Amino acid sequence: MKRLLAILLASVMVMSLLAGCGGNPSSGGQTEAAKTEENKTEPGQTEAANTEAAAQESTEAAKPAPSADDDGLIRVWVGEESTEFYQKACDTYLADHPDFGYQIEVKGMDTGSVAQTITNDPTAAADIYTVAHDNIGKLAATNCAKPITDEALVAQVTADNPESFQNVINSTLKDKVYLYGVPYISQALFLYYNKSLVTEEQAKTFEGLQEAAKAAGTKAITVTGDDGFNMSFALLARKVSDKSTTVKIYEGAESVSGGSKGVSNCQGDDTVAIVRWLQEYAADPNGFKWASSDGWEADLNKENKGALAVIGGAWHYNSAKAALGETNLGITLIPTFKLTESSVEGLSSVKAGDEYRGGTFADCKCFMINATSAASKYKKEQELIMYLSSKEVQNQSYLEVMNVPAYVGAADYIKSCYDEGKVSESEYMLAASQVSMAEWGIPQPFITGTLNTYYYSKNAPAVFRAMIDKTAYPTTGDKILEETESLESIRKGLYLIEYLWMHGQAPSEFPGTLPSEA
Amino acid sequence: MSTTKKKKVRSQSRARKVSLGATYTVLIVLGIIWLVPLIWIVLSAFRCEYHEDGTFIGTVSSNFFPRQIGFKNFKDLFTESYYGVPYAFPKWMLNTLIIAVIDCVISTFLVLSVAYCMSKLKFKLRKTFMNVTMILGLFPGFMSMIAIYFLLKSIGLTGNPQHPEYSVIGLVLAYSAGAGLGFQIAKGFFDVIPNALVESAKLDGCTNFKIFRRIILPLAKPIIIYQALMSFTGPWMDFIFAKVIIGADNARYWTVSVGLYSMLFGTHPDTNLFTQFAAGCVIVAIPIVTLFMFLQQYYVEGVTAGAVKG
Amino acid sequence: MASKKKAAPKDKANRVSVFERIGKAFSDFGKRFVDGSLGTKLSHFIFGAGNIYHKQYIKGLLFFLLQAGILVLMIACPTINGTPYGWKALRNLSLSQEKGYVSEGGDFDPETGDFTVGSDCKLIILFGFVTIAMIIIYFLIWNMNIKSSVKADNDKKIGKKPATFREDLAELLDGKFHVLMLTPTCIAAAVFTILPTVFMIALAFTSYNSQDMNDLGTNLFRWNGLQNFRAVFTGEGSLGFEIKNRFLPVLGWTFIWAILATFTCYFGGIILALLINKKGLRGKKIFRTVFIFTIAVPQFISLLAVRNLLGEYGPFNQMLKNMGVITESVGFLGLRPGDSEILAKVMVIIVNMWVGIPYTMLMTSGILMNIPTDLYEAARVDGASTVKMFFKITLPYVIFITTPYLISSFVGNINSFNTIFLLTGGGPTYTGYQAGGTDLLVTWLYKVTIDQGSYNTGAVIGIFTFIITATITLVTYRRSKAYNEEDTFQ
Repeated sequence: MKRLLAILLASVMVMSLLAGCGGNPSSGGQTEAAKTEENKTEPGQTEAANTEAAAQESTEAAKPAPSADDDGLIRVWVGEESTEFYQKACDTYLADHPDFGYQIEVKGMDTGSVAQTITNDPTAAADIYTVAHDNIGKLAATNCAKPITDEALVAQVTADNPESFQNVINSTLKDKVYLYGVPYISQALFLYYNKSLVTEEQAKTFEGLQEAAKAAGTKAITVTGDDGFNMSFALLARKVSDKSTTVKIYEGAESVSGGSKGVSNCQGDDTVAIVRWLQEYAADPNGFKWASSDGWEADLNKENKGALAVIGGAWHYNSAKAALGETNLGITLIPTFKLTESSVEGLSSVKAGDEYRGGTFADCKCFMINATSAASKYKKEQELIMYLSSKEVQNQSYLEVMNVPAYVGAADYIKSCYDEGKVSESEYMLAASQVSMAEWGIPQPFITGTLNTYYYSKNAPAVFRAMIDKTAYPTTGDKILEETESLESIRKGLYLIEYLWMHGQAPSEFPGTLPSEA
Repeated sequence: MSTTKKKKVRSQSRARKVSLGATYTVLIVLGIIWLVPLIWIVLSAFRCEYHEDGTFIGTVSSNFFPRQIGFKNFKDLFTESYYGVPYAFPKWMLNTLIIAVIDCVISTFLVLSVAYCMSKLKFKLRKTFMNVTMILGLFPGFMSMIAIYFLLKSIGLTGNPQHPEYSVIGLVLAYSAGAGLGFQIAKGFFDVIPNALVESAKLDGCTNFKIFRRIILPLAKPIIIYQALMSFTGPWMDFIFAKVIIGADNARYWTVSVGLYSMLFGTHPDTNLFTQFAAGCVIVAIPIVTLFMFLQQYYVEGVTAGAVKG
Repeated sequence: MASKKKAAPKDKANRVSVFERIGKAFSDFGKRFVDGSLGTKLSHFIFGAGNIYHKQYIKGLLFFLLQAGILVLMIACPTINGTPYGWKALRNLSLSQEKGYVSEGGDFDPETGDFTVGSDCKLIILFGFVTIAMIIIYFLIWNMNIKSSVKADNDKKIGKKPATFREDLAELLDGKFHVLMLTPTCIAAAVFTILPTVFMIALAFTSYNSQDMNDLGTNLFRWNGLQNFRAVFTGEGSLGFEIKNRFLPVLGWTFIWAILATFTCYFGGIILALLINKKGLRGKKIFRTVFIFTIAVPQFISLLAVRNLLGEYGPFNQMLKNMGVITESVGFLGLRPGDSEILAKVMVIIVNMWVGIPYTMLMTSGILMNIPTDLYEAARVDGASTVKMFFKITLPYVIFITTPYLISSFVGNINSFNTIFLLTGGGPTYTGYQAGGTDLLVTWLYKVTIDQGSYNTGAVIGIFTFIITATITLVTYRRSKAYNEEDTFQ
């Protein structure tokens, strides 16, 4: 009775499986040949690519899996906002290099989720993709990225980029250190504020913003989100007099999974005092607020009476401009604040009136090569990256889509653009503020061989938010932080954050005595 | 005697009038509550407010009625580029339309054929089939998303860099493949068709196929329309599955709900697009609501059949 | 066609009876082999031989092609995305790194750019299952082909001509019409529902957890038995404490939600239907249309509209502020951590009524009109009040008819993803946990798998959700009249 049913079932399955093999990119030699011809590839190369694909087809899983075949197309993923710019840049490059041999296709991706999209299925990701540098560890460790070895390109990266970046774009592969990411955009936090309600002077301090907020009947300042990156404004705040902080995030730490802690520290008296100060500031009716669930842009809308300023990055420029209105858009450094009497109570190494400036992570966005990209493309991919990360293209991308260049000395170029009238004042301030803020920050923690536990949270940002909100923070079943207000529990909270950074999970219990000094 | 009776009648009719009045009031109030959110979305779609310097305000706004109205949101949808894709919104609409039409045809066919078998044919595994279907329906759907993605991928129908457009076929497959398992409502409808009709036709020597085509299908018009309506509207509402199958990088091939959802809830969401989002919603809702209103009677029949047969 | 006696109890799943039939086929093996004709004997080894022996060439050829196709696949092991099908897929299913069935990859040649990415464990499991499915199909076909041959033998014995291919096809349109009609759905369900479900269940027994794997810097995972289930009680592992502490609250709320959401919409709908269908009320059609509107508008639009309407800067908060009821925006939907959980829960139920009541209203309208009017008249003569009539006549009648709907809508509400996901996103969140105050099992599952990439934990939650819904459905549904009298319609 079910005979025919099963026959059909089986035949369809068999057919679909056979079709699957046929449909599999690694065997469609004919169409590719046609395509590569169209792409003006030299015949020799096409053949090489095809034989290679054929050779790879016979490999089995126990042996290394084959990388995809060469389809005559290099696909590039960039931030959604600059898709058109990079497509244009690539087209220009192809026009100048008719013998390049590949078509280039640029697609825009959501910067925040791109790393996860890649790890979910690297074979479906582009040949060249761009991520913030803190993803490099994760992508390299899970074999989603290929090292960059082209000597000219490595030389360009070394020559162009500040040391802080160079320390965080490498990763190890089989005990060898390789360059993995090529920086092309620098990213740091700064302040957007409403010029019509806040004077330039007021925007320089948190207290000034508070005063303006009181007059306007709003909160003073908000952030664009509550992840680890946004919270760096408080956790990495530095003393204005010497730009110092006792927070150490990744120095000396070698492995998170191994639990070797290194000398990471964020429990210094200054950090404790800053947390207390922010607790007070957030409790104030005209102080700090978290981003609205309607979006931080809605916070900035004057009619909503949300907040006067937001701490954001260059990638928020268009949104901030639209939310505030072009003429109201003010851009400056993250403001400074003075510790209050109550925030330094019981702390020995800080005193009331000490002035601090909000800090930031100073990151870079990098080009990376997909590990599953065909080996035959490798050389050309690096050539293309060399071009796309060159100073000229970086400069051009600043002029056209407000990407702040990553190379050393970009500040001079930014200044000259302003002097020559190529950019508006707010566009200049955007880049200039970011460059200055970079001096107040460090790149996000990035430990060779592992992922960055800070941004990927492991709850560290949640602990921090709980402290600012003065709510309880439950961990590992036993409520370790019933409250987050007392001096002792703030220290515990900071210890917890530090532990989460270093180990990726909460401690089973707190040590008897917490270090009170850095 | 007669006056008291009259009085009673009068008081009764007054009571009825009062209760009718109360019903009107309640219904009108409820009607307003029911419509307010929808009206608000429509108003937001036409909201066209500007800062003093002429910058457009696109965020959520706390005033219910817009200060200025205009068509800018609609115009932008059809001229701007989203996710690096120029004219993305019309493309999304077209994709969704194509997917919805194909899905509609395949799904309706599958549902009808399964429902007919379950209702009017007798065979050995009938009850088993029904139980298995019920159990399968209880597994949370999107857990199977990842497996479906990789199955489709292994036959090149998604995540295929050379042919991103194949993902659309994959999505149609994924949508319509499970449709046959949702036969319960149509079965409830078929159950009501008297068996005598089928049996007399059998005595006349009709094959099962003929009975299905000549007798059942003509009677099944309401349920066909109901099923078609349901499967047609499905793809306009799904914003999770479609993005996984089509791919985050294939913005050109997204469906309209994925596109609209991404406008508001990217990882770096741009809520300045709220009014444009609202305009998109209005454009999506218009054809679907129109369809619904025209086919209301069939929808009600389907829903009622579903109620009785679960 | 298979075994005459019912081997498996009715309610057992298809798969079980398939296995048992294979067992039966083995026991009949000897008998059939000895008694059969040469063709039947041959078809034990070469599919379709019996049919060809009986001159049923096309059928025989089809059988043979299927056998050849599956055998070729099993032996040749075609590789897709670096993962093989066939016998290698079965071997690799062990995910053994020691034996070299899976490899870490990472071999790199800086000169050529050759990079080995290593094995993809999820694909290995998936393809392994596909291969197992193919083996099952192989034996089903094997059995069918022998039976087909035996049937032809028997036909010959009684002097009947074995059915031609054309006759077989004609039979498909009549006696075996259900085979023709159900095949597409069976194939689709096997590939797109059963296989993925089995795959999902299998993940619950692995260490497939992106967070852990990232920490370890590996892209491989392995089988780890019941460890993930143990974690629910011990709280070990990266999400263990989350499950241990949040499972019961989320489960409890899922139940409360399902009960409240089902009954508020149900009774609300009946009352609304009564109001609209009130005698003497004019404009019934207009009122109905107004309420149908919310059904017609795609859910993600109407729910997001409500979400923004009730949001921090939405008009509703503004209205309350203008009226002086509140000074600070209220987080009705728990979108900020620290918002009231109770309020959020109440709000989602209210909003769900907004979504669900029109649906029940439509459904019950027809039923209400079918209630025999003499019932009411008799009651009216007895002097029953309207309220009493509602509880004594209307409600019992409607409930009696719509019990199956109530059950399916209860199960539907347990898995009501859209409402919670779009309205509250599961908020208010609890610092340190994924599962927020209004998260249902199903939205929690989404966060754990899609957001966190902890597929093993997600699968465990999924299995628990399934056990709960399946129990409820089976217990209530199998007792209901509609199920037991399902056949009487025939």
